Parts: sequence; structure tokens; C-alpha cells
Amino acid sequence: MSRKQLDMTLLALAGLISFGLPLLIESPTYLQILILLFFYAYLTTSWNLVGGFAGVLPLGHAVFVGIGAYTSTILALQFNLSPWFGMLVGGMVAALVGVAIGKPTFRMRGAYFALCTIAFSEGVRVMIENIDSLGPIKFNGPRGLLIPLKGESFWNYQFMHKEPYYYIILTMLVLVLALTWFISRSKMGYYLAAGGDEPDAAQALGVDVAKYKLIALGLSSFLTALAGTFYAQLMLYFYPKGILGLDLSFEIAFIALIGGRGMIAGPLIGALVLRPLNEFTRIYLSNQLPGLHLVIFGLILILVMLFQPKGLTLPLTRLYDRLASKITTTGA
Amino acid sequence: MNTLLQAVVDGIMMGAIYGLTALGLTLIFGVMKVVNFAHGSLLMVGMFAAYWFIKLTGIHPYLALVVVPPVLFFFGYFMQDIVIKPVFKAEREVREPLTVIIVTTGVWYVLDNLALMLFGAEYRTVRTAITGISFSLDSIIVSLPKLSGFVVSVGTAVGLWCFMRKTRIGRALQATSLDRETANLMGVNQYRIYNIAFGIGTAVAGVAGCVIIPFYYVYPSVGVVFDIRAFIIVVLGGLGSIRGAMLGGIVIGLVESVFSQFMTSTWTEAIIYAIFLTILFVKPSGLLGNKLDW
Repeated sequence: MSRKQLDMTLLALAGLISFGLPLLIESPTYLQILILLFFYAYLTTSWNLVGGFAGVLPLGHAVFVGIGAYTSTILALQFNLSPWFGMLVGGMVAALVGVAIGKPTFRMRGAYFALCTIAFSEGVRVMIENIDSLGPIKFNGPRGLLIPLKGESFWNYQFMHKEPYYYIILTMLVLVLALTWFISRSKMGYYLAAGGDEPDAAQALGVDVAKYKLIALGLSSFLTALAGTFYAQLMLYFYPKGILGLDLSFEIAFIALIGGRGMIAGPLIGALVLRPLNEFTRIYLSNQLPGLHLVIFGLILILVMLFQPKGLTLPLTRLYDRLASKITTTGA
Repeated sequence: MNTLLQAVVDGIMMGAIYGLTALGLTLIFGVMKVVNFAHGSLLMVGMFAAYWFIKLTGIHPYLALVVVPPVLFFFGYFMQDIVIKPVFKAEREVREPLTVIIVTTGVWYVLDNLALMLFGAEYRTVRTAITGISFSLDSIIVSLPKLSGFVVSVGTAVGLWCFMRKTRIGRALQATSLDRETANLMGVNQYRIYNIAFGIGTAVAGVAGCVIIPFYYVYPSVGVVFDIRAFIIVVLGGLGSIRGAMLGGIVIGLVESVFSQFMTSTWTEAIIYAIFLTILFVKPSGLLGNKLDW
């Protein structure tokens, strides 16, 4: 078996397993954990377009998730529009907001950019928490929005079982992974990488670093907002502190950094490691000792940064390379 | 008119204390070029240290000022030496290593939740010798714990400022802040300087803890309340600037207390974010910041 064949077989196997999993898993709780795992992998992959490829550290991406959720839900509640349509509107609003904050902030150095994104998203959260209603449009302040049950309908983006949500987020994840793969091999990907590593040198060679960063942020915000609509429809309820809060923004960045920033598989690997860890330590430890699961979380973060500052993808790839070369040589 | 004057007095006193909570952050950034996300947690550690010290010994809060900051200095010194330095060494060629930011975030999670495990989630207060005492000047009411907090804050800032200029260690800190390679070549041990900077930053958080505890409560995630505000203050004043942190703190304190005369406190929070973003867009280096740092 050649290396390429091995890669393809494994990829096909992974595809088959992820497609067939809902048939094997009957417990909605476990399916929900998987759905959220893919949801976070999707968010982090979108984040990776700016946070990874463009080499800055955005720490306020929850604001785009929130824009997506609020836009589609408000359009559905007020004008009875399908959330699918609202999802696209939310994406466009988020892209506009992203470009608007990217334009002045991309001039700044790392720390300033990170602090600025935090302040912006926290500012938006505080604003929304203060608004009960804007004219006829209800925001419900800190209580958030509830989406009324309308019964199973594709048009309303509501399903009685978890499986449709599973396949929707799986499709979204596959598409966004394909998109980042495509971008990383395009001219834009090279420009972004060059601008992230050596902004001055790239600029001197005639790369319009700022422009490509802005495009990346716009695209990233758009994609992130789509997941906001997904989350709203999955939960049928959301509130500012959860969907616009710092915890969500930080978790996205953590997954990326633990998995490997700027690597296509990074977000997926990060989510595969952190999400189950997060869910299970919370389920099993938080009753006995509240806080212990977050201590473990923090320690893992510190240890990965100490021993694998580029994330877990790199050593895992090396391990896979070694195993693969063994299989292909002994097999041939 | 009187309520407005009262709001201004309150705002300046509280603002200086906010400035004090941001001093350690700005010092550590100035020297190490790292935004310390664990700063709020260090403040929480300082507040708990002051809380337990005063609670167990029943000592006057001013005396805690002599004991708590030195303890916290060593806490910060060794935390930087053991946890943060290795990451720094791995990324020594990067000016603002982002992995260090993530490590400090990990430290934040660990410290806050260790406190939660040890002390529980309840809000704790301790009655000190100055708690609740106030006096009136003309028609203005001045709270004694806040006034002494103001005095200690300004004193700490002035002391730190002199220390940075007049002592050998202070100059070494400044040299490392300006150009770590050259400072290295001149015989400054960069990593020892980082330990010292982190230690001083943490000690200042300890001072802030002693100052805040007589009129505020402490709980494991109390740092987050001051953390975001400290970030805003240092960016407002200019990251790395000691005078900037005090100025930024007083601006934020004034905005908070004057605007809260006209609107609910949640809206004043929104206004603080708006002011912060405006300043960032108009003058990213902050009011008194160093142009090199943004």
C-alpha cells in the first residue's frame, strides 16, 4: 500500500465513521456532546482563518456568534423569516462588523489587538444586556431570547431529534475545513502566512498585508455567525453572557492553540482533545469538588504551551508519519 | 451641584485605586511585553492574603500592608521563574510571544479555581479597624477606607516611579523594557529581571488587595471584575506607563461615578467600553504610552 492510498483509506474511514455515528449512538446526551464538539471545531476552524493564518490573536469571536444568533432569531420572531435566510443575513452583518473593527485594529501589535477584540465583544455584550427592546424588536436584555417550538420543519430549522442537527453541523464542518484547505493553498493563504510571520518583509515585497487580513477577518466573521444561528436553533434559547461572553471567545482560542494554530487539522484535534475532557471532567468532578475541572483545564493549557508551544497537531503528525512509513514499507 | 462634587471626589478616590490595580499589569507589560491575563487572579490572591491575615490576626489593615506585599512578591517571582520563563525561553526571538499570554490564561484558570476549591464560592468580608468609617468635609462625605486607599495608591505609584528611575534594579528593568538584547549584552540577566518585574507586579497586586479589602468583598472570581477594567485602564493610559495607569484609572473612576448620577450602572459600563474603543482608534498608544509598543 502506498502512502497516498493509506491516507485516502483512513480519510474515507473517518468519513464513514462520522457519517454513521448517529446510527450507533442512541443516547441524545452523547449525540449532543458530539454535536457540540463539531460546533466548536467549526467555530475554531473559522477563527483559524484570522487567528491562525493571519498571525493575530482575536479574543472576541463570540461577538460574531452572537450577531448570527440574534440576527436570525430576531428576523424569525419579528418577520417570520426562515432562519436559513436569517443565517445568511447574520453572516453578512457579522462580516461588515468584522471589517469595520479590523480596519483600525489591524494596525496594532499583538497585545493591543487581543485587548481590543475583548473590549469590543464585551462592549457589545453589555449593550445588548442593557436593551430590553428597540422599538418593536425585543432583545430581552440579559434574559436572552427564546425560540418558540413550531414543530419539525426544515424551513423553520427545527427538528425533533438530534440527528438532523448532527448532519447539518457535520456538513458545515467539512465545508469549512475544505475551504481553509483551499485557502491555505491559494495565493491568499501564502500572503496571509507571509503577513503573519514577517509583516514588514511581506509589505516590502508588495503584498497588501492589511487587505488580505481584512478579507480573512470578514470571511471568518461570516462563517462564525453561521454557527451562531445553528446554536440558536439547536438550543432554542440563548442569552448574552453565554453566546456573547468571554468564556466562549476564550474557549475558541484555547482549542486552536492546543490543537495547533494555523494548521488545518489543528482546530479539529484541539476540539477532539478539549471538548470531551471539558464535558466529562465537568460531569464527574464538578459535583465533588467545584472548580477542579477548570484547574485541570488550566494545567493542560500550561503544559501544552510548555512542551508543545505549536500545539498537538505537529507531534501527532510526526507520530502518524512514523507509523505510516512502517506500514507502507512492511506492506510493500 | 453638591452631588456632582461628591461624585467627582468619589470618582477620583476610587479611580486612583483602580489605577493601583492596573499598576502591576502595566509594569509587567512594560518590561516583558506580555499582557498578563493572570493579573486579576494575582489581585484575588492578594485580596485573600489580606483577608486571611487580617481575619486571623485581627491586625490593623495598614499593618497588613507591611506583610502581604512581600509574600506576594515571592509568589510572583517564583511563579514567573517556574511557569512562565520556560515558555519565554522557547520563544525568545518573538517580541510579544502569544504563547505566554495563553500560559498566563492557564494560570488564571488554575488560581481562580484553586481558590474556589479551597475557600468556596461565598462572598467574604472582614470588619477592619477602618471599615465603614467616614467623615464629612463641608457637605462632602469622605469614606476613610477609600481615602486611605487613594493615599496608598498614589504613594505606591510615586514610589514605583522613583524606584524605576533611581535604583540599579529599576534601571535594569527599564533597559530590558527598551531593548532586551542590548540589555543582555550589557550584563543584565534578562530572566532574573523578568522574575523581579513579575514579583513587583504581584506585590503591587498585594498592596491593592490590602487597600480594597476594608470596603469590598472577596470571592474566587473577584479578579475578573478588576481584570477587564485594568486592561482598559492600561490601554487608555498607555501600556507600560506608570503615570498612564494612574491617569487612566482616575479617568475611568470619574466617568463611572459621574455618569452613574444620570444613568444605571450597567450603562456606565457600556460607556466605558465606548470611550476605550474611541481612544484606541484615535490614539492607540494611549494617553501617555510609548509609540513603540503598539
